Amino acid sequence: MKQLLLSAAVASALSLSSYGFADGPIDSTIYGKVNVSVVNQDSGSSDQWKLNSNASRLGVKGKTEIADGLYAVYKAEFEVCVDDGDCKGQTFTQRNIMGGIRGSFGTIWAGHHDTPTKLAQNKIDLFNDLEGDMKNTFEGENRVSNMVAYSSPEINGFAATVAMIPAEGADVDQDGQDDTGLADGMSYSVSYTMDNLYVALAGDQDVDKQDLVRLVAQYTIDDLQLGLMYQQNEDNLGTKDESGFFISAAYKIDKTTLKAQYGSIEDDVDGDKEETLSLGADYKLAKSTKLFLFYTDNTDSSVGSADVEDSAFGVGMEHKF
Amino acid sequence: MNNNHLLSIFVTGWLLSANAFSACDFDTDDADSPNFMDRIADCEKQPEAEKNGKRNSSPAATKLYGEGTVDPLSGMAERPVVAPGSMNHSPGKSFAARQHYSLRPDAKFEESVTIAIQRLHIEMAHYCAKGWTIEKQWTEPDARVEGDFYLHFLFRCS
Repeated sequence: MKQLLLSAAVASALSLSSYGFADGPIDSTIYGKVNVSVVNQDSGSSDQWKLNSNASRLGVKGKTEIADGLYAVYKAEFEVCVDDGDCKGQTFTQRNIMGGIRGSFGTIWAGHHDTPTKLAQNKIDLFNDLEGDMKNTFEGENRVSNMVAYSSPEINGFAATVAMIPAEGADVDQDGQDDTGLADGMSYSVSYTMDNLYVALAGDQDVDKQDLVRLVAQYTIDDLQLGLMYQQNEDNLGTKDESGFFISAAYKIDKTTLKAQYGSIEDDVDGDKEETLSLGADYKLAKSTKLFLFYTDNTDSSVGSADVEDSAFGVGMEHKF
Repeated sequence: MNNNHLLSIFVTGWLLSANAFSACDFDTDDADSPNFMDRIADCEKQPEAEKNGKRNSSPAATKLYGEGTVDPLSGMAERPVVAPGSMNHSPGKSFAARQHYSLRPDAKFEESVTIAIQRLHIEMAHYCAKGWTIEKQWTEPDARVEGDFYLHFLFRCS
């Protein structure tokens, strides 16, 4: 308890002194969500019920005007594990953490964050953070450390983000040499938004030891939302050369949203294939609260061996604040 | 960092932050969206400078005026008022629109503020068919004609 009081006092002092020195007001918001589900997971050899916390989180974000039209912006988000309180041995684990300077020129920012490629997906993944999350099938869903990025302002619907990721001595291109440059890894996205259409081209170079290009489209027609992604990725050792696609659809009927998505990616090197299929529905209880149910089937097909099938169904709730 | 410390910083920050919840309709998942920076910048309370009357329109707001055809009333290159009835809607997206009006005694009805407001509502309905919030409205004089003004609306799709 003493530790708690001490750190609260330190935090108070820091916060108050910050108010004293900032040029503009400090506007902060605490936000987060609780997302839990009861899931039956069947991997063929085992069948078990689980309570899952699906990227439940607590975050703080804000901006401060430091000069006329110039802002310091920040976000610090931490995962909380609602199911058992154990997030990889910690009570909190880091999610997206960033700070930057924003003006009419755009935003220069840095931190431990989702890459522009991952962000460009723009929630066409309707079962994000659940068993059907596209990251279980597709590469490129990376949150990386040491990212330095520039995001342009939106100009006539166009926006772009480019990020440099110093490897800090790691061998990210796997050429046998330690990489020590500023742009050892690169990630970028260019998007266009017009009314109900969103299109993005994104890519990685030497991120997670591979190169990747993806094209994303999202279109909303009244209560129907469609998503499409095409992706190619190749690892730096030449042992993987994949291409695949992902489609999703959500249809809103009053408080209920019906959802479906399918993805398939095949490795041209060895012919292995991965597929994901998810069906589900959300029921909105209130503006920030929903119930959901889902069924997911993830299949890994390897040439010369039996398919590995992993299916799950579950019900859950999400409350955002 | 010790988890107790982290928790207490959150709690203390919460208590100190009188503006813990801003008026903007920020969704938790917006923090992971491609335009998360815009959502951070737009969804915090307006800076003091703006509250004091300084007209800094949001950098993320899409301007719906200028760079169009010459408006016979204002003489400015304005975009035409869009047609109503379409179903465009971009949740959370901000737009800035303006319309010219006149308070001159000899102004025609077509130049009245009533028509300006009507035109602005047509634009809002076009871009935010499922509803909107007017976040700010202000008026600027037309420097070329005494008694003429521009009515600005900064609005966001719900």
